[in-house]
Amino acid sequence: MADEKKFYLTKEGLAKIEKEFNDLKILKLAKINGESPKILHSEDLNQEYLSFQEDLSFMESRLTELEYILKNAELIKTPAKNQRNTVGLGATVLVDVEGQKDEFTLVGSLEANPVLGKISNESPVGSALLGHKKGDAVIISSPIKTKYKIKKIDYGTA
Amino acid sequence: MKDTLNFLIEVGKLKKIKRRGWVLRGIKDPETIAAHTFRMALMAWILCCRKKLNSNKIIKMSLIHDLCEVCAGDTTPYDKILPEDKKQWGKIVNKWPRLSKKQKEEFFREKYEKEKRGLEKLILKLPDSLKKEIRELWNDYEKGLTHEGRFVKQLDRVENLLQALEYWKKEKNFAINPWWVQVEELIDDPILLNFMKILEEKFHNKK
Repeated sequence: MADEKKFYLTKEGLAKIEKEFNDLKILKLAKINGESPKILHSEDLNQEYLSFQEDLSFMESRLTELEYILKNAELIKTPAKNQRNTVGLGATVLVDVEGQKDEFTLVGSLEANPVLGKISNESPVGSALLGHKKGDAVIISSPIKTKYKIKKIDYGTA
Repeated sequence: MKDTLNFLIEVGKLKKIKRRGWVLRGIKDPETIAAHTFRMALMAWILCCRKKLNSNKIIKMSLIHDLCEVCAGDTTPYDKILPEDKKQWGKIVNKWPRLSKKQKEEFFREKYEKEKRGLEKLILKLPDSLKKEIRELWNDYEKGLTHEGRFVKQLDRVENLLQALEYWKKEKNFAINPWWVQVEELIDDPILLNFMKILEEKFHNKK
């Protein structure tokens, strides 16, 4: 089981976990009762649920994991207008790194995926950017001392 | 048993397939995919003892995480941006690639689909229970479904960094920067962050 900690989630991330949790509860009940639930014929069915259906123990293990996450989840909220000039969880930050532009959204560990531009608030870069403002140049504490210059901070729609 | 043997013969090809990241950088006699998997599985076992993780699961996950590359090949984030002229590759691979949001999504989706197809092809004739287990472990690793999946995903990059540091010490023109940039944006596991500090002390002579 995961260490005791808070799971910071975006609204979309939380909704995704809640949906998976609810869908798996339905599948589990159906599996126990030997039924074929409507959800299996749904157009937006997560194809991976099909493998869950065959393995109750894996489904239960996943349900336990999701339940733990939901119990310790904290929603990432858009900060008040006067705080949106500072990098915080949920911010999308446009940076200049070694002469190249890149864009990251700061999220919690569960949703982090740098390949898709989502970095964890607990990664060296994520934690270094937190609390900074547009125009700040943040140097990451590492052997190569990469500089990330903040060009823009955006929290999406208000 | 014949299908299992055929699977093992296919998987054995990873002992000869060189890791693309090193090939791009002109490393002589570079590490193979199997060699990377070997040390990564050991690291998984040793480092997970410090955490409340399912060691059986993470060792297995490490062992299977790159199996798909027998059929799908090895992929790097540079693949779509390298020009035809190989003489220009050095300049590009010496920096961590900065892709647009659209490029990142495309890269992620194409890699995932290609590797998923590769894995399914490889495990097609295995016994059902084994096939299911490999598929579920790989999916967990790819999507970070559990704590174990997220740990192994990050561990993969840290082992990669260790290998890069070893090449950096040996090869004159090897640029180490992209490897550090990658882990600094990815790693948030405390055990692995601590391991990175040890790597820094060892290879960058920091006291």
